[in-house]
Amino acid sequence: MATITVNGIRREVNAPGDTPLLYVLRNDLELTGPQFGCGLAQCGACSILIDGKEVRSCITALSDVGENQEVTTLEGLPARWAKQKGIPAEEAKTTLHPVQQAWIEEQTPQCGFCQNGMIIKATELLESNPHPTLLQIKAAFTTSGLSPNLCRCGTYGAIIDAVNHAAQIMARG
Amino acid sequence: MTILRAKQLNVFGATLSRRQFIKAGGVLVVGGSLAGPRALKGEGAEPAAMGNSIDASLPNSWIEINPDNTILIRTGKNDFGQGTVFTAYPQIVADELSVPFEAITTVVQGHTDRTPDGSGAFDFLGEGMPNIRKVAAYTYQALLDLASERLGVAKDKVTVKDGIVSGGGKSISYGDLIKDQQLKLTIPVSGSLSGIEGIKVEGKPPMKPVSEYSVIGKSFKNSATTAKVTAKEKWATDVRLPGMLHARVVHPKTLGSTLISAGQVDKTKYKNAQVIVKGNLVGVVAPTEWEAIQAAEQVASATKWTEWKGLPGNAKLYQHLRGESDWKSAPVAAASTNKGNAAVALATGKKKLSATYQLSYMKHAPIGPTMAVADVKPDGTVHIHTHNQNPQLLRSEIAMMLRTTPDHVIVHAYAGPGHYGRSNGGNAGAEDEAVILSQALGKPVRVQWSRADDMQWSTQSAAAYSDVQLAIDEKGKIAAYQIDHYMPAMQDDRPIGAVLAGLPTMSAPDVQADSVTSTVNGLSDPWVYAPVPNVMERGHGTFQVGQKASPIAVGLRDHSMRTPGQFQQNYPRELAISEAAALAGADAIQFRIDHASEERAIGVLKAVREASGWDTRPSPRPGAKSTGSAPVRGRGVSLMYRSLTYWACVCEITVNPSTGAIVVEKSTIAVDPGIVINPMQLKRQVEGGAVMGVSHALFDEVNFNESGVTADDWISYPIPSMADIPEIKVVLINNPKVSTYGGGSEAANALAAPAIAAALHDATGKMVRRLPLKAAYVQAALKT
Repeated sequence: MATITVNGIRREVNAPGDTPLLYVLRNDLELTGPQFGCGLAQCGACSILIDGKEVRSCITALSDVGENQEVTTLEGLPARWAKQKGIPAEEAKTTLHPVQQAWIEEQTPQCGFCQNGMIIKATELLESNPHPTLLQIKAAFTTSGLSPNLCRCGTYGAIIDAVNHAAQIMARG
Repeated sequence: MTILRAKQLNVFGATLSRRQFIKAGGVLVVGGSLAGPRALKGEGAEPAAMGNSIDASLPNSWIEINPDNTILIRTGKNDFGQGTVFTAYPQIVADELSVPFEAITTVVQGHTDRTPDGSGAFDFLGEGMPNIRKVAAYTYQALLDLASERLGVAKDKVTVKDGIVSGGGKSISYGDLIKDQQLKLTIPVSGSLSGIEGIKVEGKPPMKPVSEYSVIGKSFKNSATTAKVTAKEKWATDVRLPGMLHARVVHPKTLGSTLISAGQVDKTKYKNAQVIVKGNLVGVVAPTEWEAIQAAEQVASATKWTEWKGLPGNAKLYQHLRGESDWKSAPVAAASTNKGNAAVALATGKKKLSATYQLSYMKHAPIGPTMAVADVKPDGTVHIHTHNQNPQLLRSEIAMMLRTTPDHVIVHAYAGPGHYGRSNGGNAGAEDEAVILSQALGKPVRVQWSRADDMQWSTQSAAAYSDVQLAIDEKGKIAAYQIDHYMPAMQDDRPIGAVLAGLPTMSAPDVQADSVTSTVNGLSDPWVYAPVPNVMERGHGTFQVGQKASPIAVGLRDHSMRTPGQFQQNYPRELAISEAAALAGADAIQFRIDHASEERAIGVLKAVREASGWDTRPSPRPGAKSTGSAPVRGRGVSLMYRSLTYWACVCEITVNPSTGAIVVEKSTIAVDPGIVINPMQLKRQVEGGAVMGVSHALFDEVNFNESGVTADDWISYPIPSMADIPEIKVVLINNPKVSTYGGGSEAANALAAPAIAAALHDATGKMVRRLPLKAAYVQAALKT
């Protein structure tokens, strides 16, 4: 039995410690934001945040996650934003993370399968760099992680538009 | 319940019938809709419980209007990110019915028992006449008839705005018009529900004049987007059934291996796992996914297969295709636009080009490997949960495999990773394997392919080559153009698990095989240079590479991929036209304009010339250089007509001759689809296609050896990252006078390759006639 903290909630998990966190999240905790793309940390479809850093859940063992580390999945982004901004609980229920808002405004996804990782990467970027340049955005999505975040539909341009849009929303608070 | 009256009415060849109900005898009759299978049966049952098929000839299968004025639409087509089903379809319906976009509150897609018309995730806009448009037009006419009767005003005297019908000083909403009635509109259809093209709506109902469109042309958002970015979407990958087992399949060692012996599960490590063997299909199942993965790896290492070396390997692919493939068994296809006498004119031309162009195999390469959940019930009913582009066709393939009838198979379709046509032939890869394992175990089974499975056991876009001969006359015009396209069968729709298990499937590609699975290589790139006097375009087909040699009849299986067949034919044509322009000493865009007569083709060429800042001059550019490490610049153009849409593309590159590395700096695409339904969605589709085009031009190549595909991950099958994309400029040309809407989710991916290859020639003076233009190939070619 392991205990991990996911989206602000402590969860007991009855799975072997070497189980990749991706399967724990999807199968045991029914958090379906992260997707299985390669199992090799080569694409980013499975990305989550651990203490604000983008991590590939497909190669992260359950036992490698500390009880007090903060795991955030796509599902947890609205609450993460609400907490950062001190948004009251009632209002927080209907609030999306600015990155999600921007992804909708810019109509970024096509099939959408990779977009979990794209949104997680954008969130990591904007939390540390509120006004990234084009080169910084490209670096974030290609060289900052274990591999580039891959999209086969070719939404990279729409992602850049959405990151810029999200930065504006976040600047407004 | 008392039926007050029954009545039938002819609506432009469709039949409107009605029964009107009142409350009586303590029976509560819920106000009907126009109308829905539930109302048709007069009961509260879900459609699936009423049997496995709803009548596709019933318009209420397509459109349901509710008493609260909300509207539901259904389509058998499954959206994989094109957005059409969630944006263009509601927009089309809204305009035909004269309701706001927001009135269409629900879109049901794909599910075999809840959607009416089948077919695949291609040609969404149906050459300007998708089923949903005609259905909406019939429905509108029926509503006018009902309103005319209710208001006591002649049909041609009623008007409709926002779903309110007015006439004679009175008005009534659609919802009130159909309230408490059971209405059924039967419209003429043709086709086969489980055929690749599905059901087609026939007849000619009056259409809303283009001048009256108010919803089409606006950038409405895709409702599926919101669900996907908030983790609310139910993906096929999310389906979990009670008692479900997780499975991995141990695929054969090669594309021609047979099973010698399956490994046993090491029960000391994986006590809940078990092996299922059916012919050459080896499955490993366990209650948890992690145990299934580990046990499958252990079993795979202990499983023995025969060796097989029957493929040429990709280094010898071209020699194999040219020298060893059977191009004789399939009849040669000829374009209907062929004219004059190309052979004679070629012999007398002033300047001549004779060249061969080659394309590699490409993977569809979805970001998520394929998967499916199957639940074979004790009574033989099969439920399949999958991401599939043609669920009705899958249903018939699974029925064939199980020697049963399609009504026993129900396909639940969900969102999934885009795979660009790979399952338009009915199977995404894992469904049949899940069914076989579920049947063997009597439990629901989820089969998830690994990244390596998806690279090595899925189909691919066919390799091809083309021989071109052309001649330029004294005036610098093309006097004759001849092209011979050679491509193995482009579509093998046999479910791979059924093939491995030795269960019934359709035939492998052959001359006699049905339509798209035939070895005949039809012409699919419409000729756009009408003024050329002598034209001969031919298509030559053959079996898939390794198909005949493989003891299990597998080899390199192909499947249509975004702009299928046309990419393989347009790349050689457009690069050859750029070569012809260079031969004539002419500018490549002006040369095309001078050889075109269709106004819209000329229009996109002029638009792309202006938007890209093109400088008119011949190629190669002054100072072109094929040596040294200083980057040289070049630009090229391409033109395509597809699905009623004209496309032109300019790509600007730099290339380092010493390394052969190409950087695509800017891509400009002009598109004239006729009516632009949704500018934002079309722009995003084109941008995505532009990026995939860079992939086709510079990246996509399936490496394989004598036994099978050697690529097994994103390192061995690289695709572009964000660092590789050009600046993309999209010019949308709204052309309402065309009065139809053309497709926008294909073609854009095919435009880049011939434009980039022409740009390489512009920059270096060297023509490289082989895709992809990987640095090592370009480097070698520039040295010759």
